Amino acid sequence: MTTYRPIDKMSLLTTSHYKMLLVMARFGISLGFGDKTIDEVCIENGVDTNTFLAVVDLILDRDEKNDFSNRQISVNELVCYLQNSHSFFLGFRFKTIRTELEKIMNNDNNELSKAVLHYFDEYVLEVKKHMEYEEKMLFPYIRQLLDNKPDSNYNVNIFAKQHSQVEKRLNEFKSLIIKYYPIKSSNELNSVLFDIFACEEDLASHNAIEDRLLVPLVRNLEGTVVKRWEH
Amino acid sequence: MIKSIKIAIAEPSVVISRGLSTILKKIHGFHTDIFEISDFEALKKVSISQIPDILLINPTFLFVQGIQNFKKQYINNKTKFIALQTSLFSSFIIREFDEVITIFDDEEKIKQTITDLFELPDREQEINALSQREKEVVSEVVKGLTNKQIADKLYLSVHTVTTHRRNIAAKLQIHSTAGLTIYAISNKLI
Repeated sequence: MTTYRPIDKMSLLTTSHYKMLLVMARFGISLGFGDKTIDEVCIENGVDTNTFLAVVDLILDRDEKNDFSNRQISVNELVCYLQNSHSFFLGFRFKTIRTELEKIMNNDNNELSKAVLHYFDEYVLEVKKHMEYEEKMLFPYIRQLLDNKPDSNYNVNIFAKQHSQVEKRLNEFKSLIIKYYPIKSSNELNSVLFDIFACEEDLASHNAIEDRLLVPLVRNLEGTVVKRWEH
Repeated sequence: MIKSIKIAIAEPSVVISRGLSTILKKIHGFHTDIFEISDFEALKKVSISQIPDILLINPTFLFVQGIQNFKKQYINNKTKFIALQTSLFSSFIIREFDEVITIFDDEEKIKQTITDLFELPDREQEINALSQREKEVVSEVVKGLTNKQIADKLYLSVHTVTTHRRNIAAKLQIHSTAGLTIYAISNKLI
């Protein structure tokens, strides 16, 4: 895997991969960094460079064989990143897609368009539940671990076992529209389909970050905290 | 219906495995998910965690552990086991595999080998995907009836209704009532 280094220019990374714009936003890094290196920009914005690069590398290449176990990742910053990412999906991404859909569907306003909106709403509700579970159970549990107060009733394996791939149903939704929604090719419809494609990809990355960066990290943490308690 | 298949390529040479995966990605009618594997540890990991539909493997990978041993321990019954021949192997090795691809096969031959393993349905069949009975089941599901209620209404057993629903989901690749509703309205089933 080709990985980015702390001494690479931030502008090189961001202009080569447009998806990085989302990553920057979630880490709270502002644009306008000129020719500064990744490390410099991260330090300026109070972001841990290694955590930033681990997220970047995973998003750029989700191939299973890439190993992230040796990365120095800050659990705290990763959790913040994931929370920001949740607010992005629930507070922005799904809302804009809903508005775009509504615009197209309201012009038709028939049984089919109602069914399409219903499907989408049901889906968003499902993702919301999925993310709220993480916010209410997983993240507080991790914070307690970080504070050295492990909760013996929960562990990260409980999360890992039931963690579902929420992007799958978005894929189904997209093909349902393409296959069964008869509409003359319209710019508005294409635009919302593009957004759904991008959102699906983004959700898949988001899940990969949880499964491949966060879960192993918390497992390690559980090991050390529990050991400390036993001594 | 577009199928999604997971293919794992176990081959120490990245030049060969990358080349193969380029060819495999071009097979029509499939979404391919390809895992390139270059060492034994990764092979064990992917075999267990991903359960690939196809494992395309350079037999030399298995000489240490023994082919039969490896198959017993790591390979699920549904995984097609294909030898990737980079040099000549004796027939008692080759007969452990479901198929053989050699590095001198051309693109067409490789694609053919893969599609033959999965017997892609022809296009005619795809268009008439649902049987009349299945269509009836769809329209009742969409109305919100339970399997029991559908069974009573159509004079079927609950078991048959469940089977119909499973087949419908597989044929249409739709796994929710909300999705079936869209399908049913669009196809004027309700």
